[in-house]
Amino acid sequence: MKFFAFHLMPWDRLPDDFEKNHKTAWTWLPNEIFDPQHGGELYNNYLDQLVLADELGFDGVCVNEHHQNAYGTMPSPNLMASILARQTKNCKIAVVGNAIPFYDPPTRCAEEFAMIDCISGGRLIAGLVVGGGPEYYSFSKNPTFAREMYREAFDLIMRAWTEPGPFEHYGKHWKLKYVNPWPRPIQQPHPPIWIPGAGSRETIQFVAERRFAYMGIPYFHMDFFQRNFDMFRDACEKCDYTADPEQLGWLLPIYTAETDEQAWAEYEPHLWYFVKKLLKGLVVFPPGYTSARSIAGIQKGLQQFMSTCETREDIEKGGYAIVGSPETVRQKLSERIQKLGVGNLLGLFQLGTLPHDLTCKSMKLFAEKVMPGLREELNVESALS
Amino acid sequence: MPSTIKSENKTLNIAGKKTQLTILGEGPPLLYLHSAGGETEPIAFHKKLAEKHTVYLPAHPGFALSEGLDRIDDINDMAWHYVDLIQELGLEDVPVVSYSLGAWIASEVKLLRPRLIGPTVMIAAAGLHVDGAPMAELFIDEFDDLRKLLFFNPESQEAKDYFPSDVNDPRILMWLRAREATARVGWNPYLHNPKLLQHLHRLDSPVQLIWGKQDKLIPAAHGEYYAAHLPNAKLIELEECGHMVPYEKTEEAAEIALDFLLTENA
Repeated sequence: MKFFAFHLMPWDRLPDDFEKNHKTAWTWLPNEIFDPQHGGELYNNYLDQLVLADELGFDGVCVNEHHQNAYGTMPSPNLMASILARQTKNCKIAVVGNAIPFYDPPTRCAEEFAMIDCISGGRLIAGLVVGGGPEYYSFSKNPTFAREMYREAFDLIMRAWTEPGPFEHYGKHWKLKYVNPWPRPIQQPHPPIWIPGAGSRETIQFVAERRFAYMGIPYFHMDFFQRNFDMFRDACEKCDYTADPEQLGWLLPIYTAETDEQAWAEYEPHLWYFVKKLLKGLVVFPPGYTSARSIAGIQKGLQQFMSTCETREDIEKGGYAIVGSPETVRQKLSERIQKLGVGNLLGLFQLGTLPHDLTCKSMKLFAEKVMPGLREELNVESALS
Repeated sequence: MPSTIKSENKTLNIAGKKTQLTILGEGPPLLYLHSAGGETEPIAFHKKLAEKHTVYLPAHPGFALSEGLDRIDDINDMAWHYVDLIQELGLEDVPVVSYSLGAWIASEVKLLRPRLIGPTVMIAAAGLHVDGAPMAELFIDEFDDLRKLLFFNPESQEAKDYFPSDVNDPRILMWLRAREATARVGWNPYLHNPKLLQHLHRLDSPVQLIWGKQDKLIPAAHGEYYAAHLPNAKLIELEECGHMVPYEKTEEAAEIALDFLLTENA
């Protein structure tokens, strides 16, 4: 069982009239709202939180890529990961992930990931993603080519890491006479690969076939995760092997305080800022991003999405976030981790407007009072091997 | 309108692409090129045209039951598909009535094979980028917002009938397919071909432009630009009309189109 601290690096100062005047926290939200001075403070706090995760004994930290939005102000996770490669000592650095259809050419991703792997001494986990729906608007990238661009970019990056260069690549979307990235990654033949998914069969099949790790996209109802993870395990069986729990990751918001009551009191306003403001506009399916049938299906699945929650009870019942005393958090996580059969827990410890001091306090409590018990109970050693 | 109009459905094989074709009415041939909305089933506007013409109403690749979108990467591929289709139908110098996305396709086909297409009616045509008159965002999810964008009166019955109202509407799959096929050729550059501007002087056959004055998707300034730069074009702007000209001004637009074609073919 491995524990990761995941960060979105959200914008915490949306105007009071946001809900009235803005339909979304994405793409069309005027960037005047972003205050660079305050942005600098936030970035430094957020990096401090991830460095703290390393010091507290988390197995890894996670950063990710989003563009033109308030939900996650990290357009370049590789910049953050490269800082963390220097400032952390032991933990894995999971970039979940680079949106590779937007890298032109995608060999930039192979190069930058290799740099991070070298600087960190081989601690990179390489996440490769299609890119979120809103980002196809932000970049004016044609979403009807998203999947084929992803596959071409993916295969190209894998070749760039594993085949001696220079070689030629003449694909549909990129034509490269010389593929020969310097540097190469420390981890051979390549860093571990993580791929997030929101339940589309195409992605599950792709990850299972190649024996990579599948990360469940957060903010869905527990039952939705269960269905997707079961589907993944079935897909692995059909490929003639049994999935390792470490091939599955579960990402969810976690908050720990001294007591249940205190945890909710400290956490709740920040949680609702996240749910009601930052999630607004996250789930957008531009045309062709996935098949028409999948879009129709996922639209229905969205009836089980965190943004439909109105009360604390809704959050708890759907398992959208785990909030409480160390004992409550431990007990709920233990039960659900076993039920879901996942080997990686990706905790979102900071979210919305949650201040730096509360985030650090929650992470410390979690690391000191939740993680050791869970490690023992789930009968596995610390991953810092 | 006659109560019965001759109607026939066919499936063509156009260079390996399965293509849905509806043929309506009797008389000299007329090719209708539909919009991003995918009006591939006969609507009142088509029926008006079919009173005087045999209307060929194909569905573009990826729309309705037409396939082959996997072989369409851009508007140029779409135009070549129509070069093949017009030749398959044995037509030459065929009059065209075209609407929005379809009107853009008509321009591109005309550039590739000038002799295939005759006098052309272009309604609320996509295809251009006009400085100072940006096109609005068509690729949004909210049906109510789309209705407001496209219709002069979003509360009208035709506005309500034309759009699915939510994801449970049985038309949703076809709607999503139409949206995907439009995005394929119109996502970037957004609903236009930057090179079309420099070719406009080559499109020298007669063109009748029809625009809704209150078109919010493709502002009337685009019609004025086409009219100013096409060598042989005239423009009629319709009052109290948005982008959905064939729905909002069915009779008026059909009459303009039929009069123009009658004059040009005389």
